[in-house]
Amino acid sequence: MPHIEPITGRYIHVPYEGEEYRVFYEEAGQGTPLVCLHTAGTDSREWRHQLCDSDINSSFRVIALDLPRHGKSIPPKGWWKEEYTLTAKFYSEFVMAFCTELELEKPVVMGSSMGGNICLHLALNFEKDVQALIAIEACDYSPGWWLDWLSNPHVHGGEVCATSVYGLMAPQSPEEYRRETWWYYSQSGPGIFKGDLYFYSIDHDFRNLLDKISGQVPIYFMTGVYDFACTPEMTQQTAQKVKGSECIIMEKIGHFPMCENPVTFKRYLMPVLAKIRETR
Amino acid sequence: MAVFDAGWMERWQSLVNQDSVTKIIGKHLTATILFAFGDTAYVVSYVGGQITRIESEIGPESSYAFALRGPAETWAKFIQPVPPPMYNDIWAMAHPLHGRLQIEGEVKVMWQNLRAFTWTLDLMRNANG
Repeated sequence: MPHIEPITGRYIHVPYEGEEYRVFYEEAGQGTPLVCLHTAGTDSREWRHQLCDSDINSSFRVIALDLPRHGKSIPPKGWWKEEYTLTAKFYSEFVMAFCTELELEKPVVMGSSMGGNICLHLALNFEKDVQALIAIEACDYSPGWWLDWLSNPHVHGGEVCATSVYGLMAPQSPEEYRRETWWYYSQSGPGIFKGDLYFYSIDHDFRNLLDKISGQVPIYFMTGVYDFACTPEMTQQTAQKVKGSECIIMEKIGHFPMCENPVTFKRYLMPVLAKIRETR
Repeated sequence: MAVFDAGWMERWQSLVNQDSVTKIIGKHLTATILFAFGDTAYVVSYVGGQITRIESEIGPESSYAFALRGPAETWAKFIQPVPPPMYNDIWAMAHPLHGRLQIEGEVKVMWQNLRAFTWTLDLMRNANG
């Protein structure tokens, strides 16, 4: 018997502000839509373990998209004439435009790193459109990453982007999966990781907005102890100010729980998914 | 045997120079770097990924491209077999949020060779005897 994974990959055309974006996404399973957002400078491959996990995809339609300019989603026309800087406005509105085009009704959105930070924007601006948010490695403000060295013709972009994040992973995570994450990071287009980090470290500043989140949508913050970009303390301090949130600190794992150590991550994720199913 | 003494440095040098992965990924790592483990400092010369010279006599005439300076306690955590959170990586220790390690100087060569350089630093964990 051939070993064929349950993942299906497709392309959808997403209209947004006069452009039509050709977006690649992978999905598996049936049930409540669970939209998974990749980290900066990478793509939907980060979610391959959760997509294939029958304990998850038996209750959730797991969907992982590549943002425009990432993975198999091509950039918009004219990309070659501009410096890429991801904004909170584009990111949050585009994720919701994708959900609308795919006719997803009140999805759960789960993202890590910049995908976690954007959950705060979704909670503030799209609370009627989402069922729950799982904000992994997220906090109100994450400075220090918008670095010129990550997009510099004197430096190998793939190697430097990948190596700059390698230490964000826990030494306890299997080396095979840490190197796989490094591999993903070595493959983004020129300036894409840095452009994403514009959102992560510059445009995302929620320090004065946390108390404006109504609490109508449950938010689950999940952060690994080896995350030096968004430390457990940073997440805890954020969660304390967000109504309707829960904060889970994960031991022996870092900034990329879903792909650096899917087994450890699953132990923390399954209770969260169970709560979401109960409150549906 | 104490960490960061001359014997420890020689063991680390030997590990780097015998390492098969460094020979593959470190071919372009040629730089002279100052390591300050608290008050103990060395100027380490890499040529093509090999550590060719370690100088312990540091003076005004010493030259190097860039320096890594941190308290001995910080480096001691970095070289533990399983380093604790925030100490497992030089960028983790040097990130502005943490500031446990200072990286100063002409750092372009470090970013150019970050993969090989950090690989060789990880070998410090095997030099503890």
